[in-house]
Amino acid sequence: MIFARALTKKFGDFTAVNELSLEIRPGECFGLLGPNGAGKSTFIGMVYGMVLRSGGELRVFGFDPSTHGREIKRRLGVVTQENALDESLSVHENMMLYAAFVGVPPNERRGRVDELLEYMNLAHKRDAGIQALSGGMKRRLVFVRALLGRPELLILDEPTTGLDPGVRHLLWGKVQELRERGTTILLTTHYMHEAEVLCDRLVVMNQGAVVAEGTPRAMIDAHTPGYMGIYAADQKAKIASLVAAYSHLVLAEDSSGLYLRAKSMDELASFRQNHALEPLQIRPANLEDVFLKLTGREISVDA
Amino acid sequence: MLESLKLSLHIARRNWAVYRKDFVANVSPTVADPAMILVSLGLGLGAFLTNIEGMSYMQFLAPGLTIATALFTSYFETSWGFYMRMTYENVYKAMLTTPIGVNEVVVGEFIWTALKGAAMGAGVGVFLAIFGLMTNPWLLPFVALVAGFVALACGSMGLIATSYVNNMNQFQTVYSFLIAPLYFLSGIFFPIQNMATPLRVIAEFFPLIHGVRLVQSLFWERGIAEAFAYSGSILFVQSAVFCAFAHYRLRKKLVL
Repeated sequence: MIFARALTKKFGDFTAVNELSLEIRPGECFGLLGPNGAGKSTFIGMVYGMVLRSGGELRVFGFDPSTHGREIKRRLGVVTQENALDESLSVHENMMLYAAFVGVPPNERRGRVDELLEYMNLAHKRDAGIQALSGGMKRRLVFVRALLGRPELLILDEPTTGLDPGVRHLLWGKVQELRERGTTILLTTHYMHEAEVLCDRLVVMNQGAVVAEGTPRAMIDAHTPGYMGIYAADQKAKIASLVAAYSHLVLAEDSSGLYLRAKSMDELASFRQNHALEPLQIRPANLEDVFLKLTGREISVDA
Repeated sequence: MLESLKLSLHIARRNWAVYRKDFVANVSPTVADPAMILVSLGLGLGAFLTNIEGMSYMQFLAPGLTIATALFTSYFETSWGFYMRMTYENVYKAMLTTPIGVNEVVVGEFIWTALKGAAMGAGVGVFLAIFGLMTNPWLLPFVALVAGFVALACGSMGLIATSYVNNMNQFQTVYSFLIAPLYFLSGIFFPIQNMATPLRVIAEFFPLIHGVRLVQSLFWERGIAEAFAYSGSILFVQSAVFCAFAHYRLRKKLVL
């Protein structure tokens, strides 16, 4: 569905996307993770033809976005990072305009808009102004806008940033429904839990390149298998000196605390008992640990 | 091609829908400004200028006001207006993820600006005709046509300015050093042949002077054929050149 090989984008001296290669298959939910400035949004811009590549190859539905933008854009929908709703128009006017843009026949526009407003629980706001909507409602409306053309490929660019858990879960449910109906999904997010819940496969990008890829589970197993014992930062000196005797424990730190990783719960439990050191928390390793490790935010402590 | 044009029309329609919502506020300056000039200059100053090109000052002044209206309505729409839509209101960001591309956005803005300029210019023309300042009101459709082309060319100048400025304040500079001089030095207020030659030559390169000559010929029914042959063709070419350059600049701005 999307195929990129050695895809590169330079802005002057700055390389935003550096020899990126990936393939997104029909029907899957594909996650694009990475810190701010990793090149995710640049890549998405390239997919719908508003950012032109400097090198490499890119195909979307088999077309080259730099020459066949309209053919591609007819078949995809984008939940843009910023809402970019037209505040001069009402909810209904906004959606009718976009229904026209994506080529819904005139006599079907009203029905399609109403159906999707209903689907996103916004029917009661049909005639409201954009300013009258809450942040969560605006976001749901952006979903409606992205779905008007019944896209084969739905691009979600940080779809739930800044939303409360209620709205976030509602949107996750909708995304899962769409995926079950066969829509291919490309998701960027800073919420690792979101990526774990939604994505079949994902890549972690850093400085414009893919640094890891796989299923969420496989990535955890490959990069940070096991469990994490989290300690307060002020215990650093003490723990660092003790850990040297435990070859199977890995210690890392960042500004929020110390992270002691082990293959099993038992290993962490015995370290705790042996030294009477009480951790803040013990939990299974998750995608956030992988992310921090791969994007260089995890700074190793030399034992 | 046809599909692209359809999409552009949707953009023009969007601008009309927004314009219509605040119609009285939007249309006020277009109605009030020419009326004010006509009263203050036409009646006030006109008392002292009793014979200019063989007519009253009021009659001399009238045609150019249709073109001044086309200039202001198009320049403000495509400078402050377009910049606001692009930067603060984010109108195009999401549009460009749909089958709409830069082509459609720019052509849509051209259509909207030209139609608005034509309607406003002709509207002022109707008002002037009612007061007997146009000898043959049946020529009004041609006034609309000229105003439309002037709006297209001046609107392109606004879009070009938009592609260069870093913030809205910089439109003031464009206004002060380009738009205001065009307004005052394009033969609206006094016969152009009385102006210093270098200024007159420079003015020829801009659309306003040609628009003014065209509507003057229509209002006074004097040398219409010659005006359309000379100024008409220049205005047409200028509109095309300015539009092409505006299109090129906006593509560079919107496609990274």
